[in-house]
Amino acid sequence: MNDENLKLKLLSLPVKYLHQFAKGRIHRHFRLGKRQLIDCLLALSPDQKKAIVAELQQRAPLSTKPEAESTIAQHHSSFYPQPSSPHPDSPGATSPSINLEDLLEGIGVPEHAPFIPDAWQRHAIEAIAHSDVIVSAPTGSGKTFVATEAIKQAIASNHTVIYTSPLKALSNTKYMEFSQQFGTDQVGILTGDRRDNAQAPLLIMTTEILRNILYDATSGDPDLRLHTLGLVILDESQYLADPERGVVWEETLILCPPDTRLLLLSASIGNPQELAEWLTSIRPSTSCHLIRHTKRSVPLRGIYLHPAGQLVPLFENRDIQQRKGFRFHPETKRLFKEYEFKSLH
Amino acid sequence: MPPAIHPIDLVDILRRHRLTPAIVFLTSRRGCDEAIDTFIHSSAGVSATHSEKIRTFFEQFAQNFPSIANHPLISVVQDYGVAAHHAGHLPSWKIAIEELMRQGLLDAVFATTTLAAGVDFPARTVVISQSSVRKSQDFMDLTVSEIQQLAGRGGRRGKDFVGFVVVTPSPYIDLHVLGKGLTGQPEPINSQFVVSYPMVLNLLNAHSLDQITGLLGKSFAQFQLNQRAAIHQDRLDEVHEQLTPYGPRECVDWVAQWKVFDLARRRKAHRRPIVNTDSPYLAACLPFLTPGRLIGLAKGPAIILRHYRSKGTGTPMLSVLYAKGTMGECQAQRVVHIYDHVYEFQPIRNIPWCPPSTLHQFKAILSQLPTRLPTVPIFEATHEPEDPLLTEIVTDEFACPTCPSHTACKKDVALVSRLQLKAQQVTKTIKALRDGLWHQFQQKADVLHKFGYLTAHLELTVEGEWARLIRINHSLLITELIRMEAFSGMAPELLAGVMASIAHDDDRPSSYMRLSPGLASMLKQVRHVGESLSAYETAPLLRSDVAALAERWIGNTELSWASLVHSTSMAEGDVYRLLARTLEFLSQIYGLKGTHPGLADTAYRAMISMRREVLAELP
Repeated sequence: MNDENLKLKLLSLPVKYLHQFAKGRIHRHFRLGKRQLIDCLLALSPDQKKAIVAELQQRAPLSTKPEAESTIAQHHSSFYPQPSSPHPDSPGATSPSINLEDLLEGIGVPEHAPFIPDAWQRHAIEAIAHSDVIVSAPTGSGKTFVATEAIKQAIASNHTVIYTSPLKALSNTKYMEFSQQFGTDQVGILTGDRRDNAQAPLLIMTTEILRNILYDATSGDPDLRLHTLGLVILDESQYLADPERGVVWEETLILCPPDTRLLLLSASIGNPQELAEWLTSIRPSTSCHLIRHTKRSVPLRGIYLHPAGQLVPLFENRDIQQRKGFRFHPETKRLFKEYEFKSLH
Repeated sequence: MPPAIHPIDLVDILRRHRLTPAIVFLTSRRGCDEAIDTFIHSSAGVSATHSEKIRTFFEQFAQNFPSIANHPLISVVQDYGVAAHHAGHLPSWKIAIEELMRQGLLDAVFATTTLAAGVDFPARTVVISQSSVRKSQDFMDLTVSEIQQLAGRGGRRGKDFVGFVVVTPSPYIDLHVLGKGLTGQPEPINSQFVVSYPMVLNLLNAHSLDQITGLLGKSFAQFQLNQRAAIHQDRLDEVHEQLTPYGPRECVDWVAQWKVFDLARRRKAHRRPIVNTDSPYLAACLPFLTPGRLIGLAKGPAIILRHYRSKGTGTPMLSVLYAKGTMGECQAQRVVHIYDHVYEFQPIRNIPWCPPSTLHQFKAILSQLPTRLPTVPIFEATHEPEDPLLTEIVTDEFACPTCPSHTACKKDVALVSRLQLKAQQVTKTIKALRDGLWHQFQQKADVLHKFGYLTAHLELTVEGEWARLIRINHSLLITELIRMEAFSGMAPELLAGVMASIAHDDDRPSSYMRLSPGLASMLKQVRHVGESLSAYETAPLLRSDVAALAERWIGNTELSWASLVHSTSMAEGDVYRLLARTLEFLSQIYGLKGTHPGLADTAYRAMISMRREVLAELP
């Protein structure tokens, strides 16, 4: 790297990093401004400059690529911590502040179209045939579809399916839903004191009940049709982290027979990978397949509604995007400040 | 304080911008109910055809769920197309609202944030007006996962091109929390594994101890603990790495050797050791020879004015006031009697050691002393053995001063001992992380052994065999009560009452209800047992009002649901949940039919009479 290049590169860095390079090399470097600092750095001996170049490359592995040298801006953004701001290539960034008309356009009901499963859904359905699957996807993105297809597959191959949910209310909803879909004789529901159609191939229950069944199965009084149990679906498996009841999910997963497939449906969580690694480690017969879907099938937009009745965009971007930082719309900021000011006086 | 937007205005704006149907999340049930109340007599109604559709829906729905046929809120829903949905409602009502929402017949549902975790009903728009939620007495910020659960209800697949999150401020909102929640990464989930009594019994029932260690090791908790342990292991390896250059020298454990040597050297270091030549008797006397003390000398009584040690020999000395009124110095060992009298005074630093007035006072006292005075008993201290370490070290010869690695040791010892300490700490942490669950298991097993559910060899006793079937909270309390035969010959309604009060763990206040004397004395007994077990299991709240409620429902099969709900200030949904939970507890007791047929029969009769009206609607 020649001096000219190095100078360019140093110029593109925040002065904070220049001070780091200068530490121990330039006397009283903290007194110097950026330009003076660069001059001093360039005036160092060739050996020292070589060390600086090495440090630079260590900091940004990209610079080893030839084209990176010319596109310093890209290099910069790829490595150094970014302020939380819209991503350069996110759609909203081109027009820094959108207006309300843009925000509200496109409201409407789509034409009734035949349902076409998304790639991740197909992927999950294929995977469940031969391995355990964890699906981590946002609410309303179609996890139930995966469950339904998996149930169909399992019933077709004469296996019993157990579907658990954390709440009785959810169990009831699912019971009605599945009864409509598969026929009343195909679906059974188990509660603490009631067993409706317990010989059905699809059983719905809360996770606690399944845990109890598994405990009793290990102690040798098999009930129901557990010998044909082929698939266990745990809905809302993020309940694993519930302070009071989470332990039940763990017990269930630990005690689940090794040749039964597991399908865990979970809302978006931070560490599905860790969960998958864990399941793989405790169920060595198959590896656990993680399907992680973070994109919403219907885009979501943010609106700020001022108590006086104005509607303004909440963010500078139109669609809410995950994991890209956020910036409130200036109008939102202004109105909210006004609101807060009023609450103080 | 500027108010939040009025519910009617809110719904109006949403309707105007075609943002309905919407779910409006509020923090409290009362907030939801009040929001609905404001619509009554307002002009925000829906069209007649729309209203008619809702009416027909309710008519059809009531055929399957008769409990909602006369629900007081139906008219509001019909007229204004808005509804409330929270845990205070009956499940059937909630199902009806969800179904209405799915059919697109409602414009807005006012719901509590608890809804987000449970039922799946989407809308075009989600309205969020709060950034915090009440969690056990305290307001906490919503987590990223929670906000995304809320926001996730916005935008129906197949019914909307776009979904919306409307943020509208209310007092105590933090916009930043919401911004972060809407766009951020959800929190990672962590294991909440705890070993419970039923778990121990059930595991021991079917598995050997080795297998159980394996099973506990399989838990997500252990998985995460192991990950943490691995980080500590890395740190430990690092420390060991740093320790490698400081391996064995002339002696293997040179650090320990050096430390002992150093200690000895430091103890020897006084140039002239203070040798205490006081006799044991004198040493025992000295604490009493304080200024103001009345003593007896050979010449007669005297009062001590100050005490000191002589500069030359270090002999303890006293300045005293004699009975004849003169002052003088005398050795402490000349004291013949120590009387049990101390006269308080303000000592001063130079002669006469006390204020002149005190001196006069003392003279007066001394001239008027009675002949016989009580003395202080003196106990000679037994000779204490010397510090063994000290004697050994002082007498022993150390190799260190002449050792070839003396200088190196001297230089490195501080660093190495610090590293060793760190290594010890980290090793301890790793061990705690790896064995934590097993320890929990052992603790619980010990308790179960103490109570006789397990033998000393950790096998299930006869009691343990049936106790393992009780797999609910407060299982130890319930099994202990069964063993005491506290329930024998009990009426079904009393059993249900007790179970209800054990099952109910909500401290939301409700009105007091008259308790039958039988149930009252029973609850007293249960409370007593619960308190005695509190070291091993948190005692339940044991509220008597919920017990009375369950008792009334079961005791009187003629009682209608409406009049039951009417007799308490608890919300309908809460009463339902209480009874549903009681049913669950009773069904666990019913599970003991093999060993406790009488009790199981009582539980069964209670369950039968419980399942009627609303409670028979859903499985």
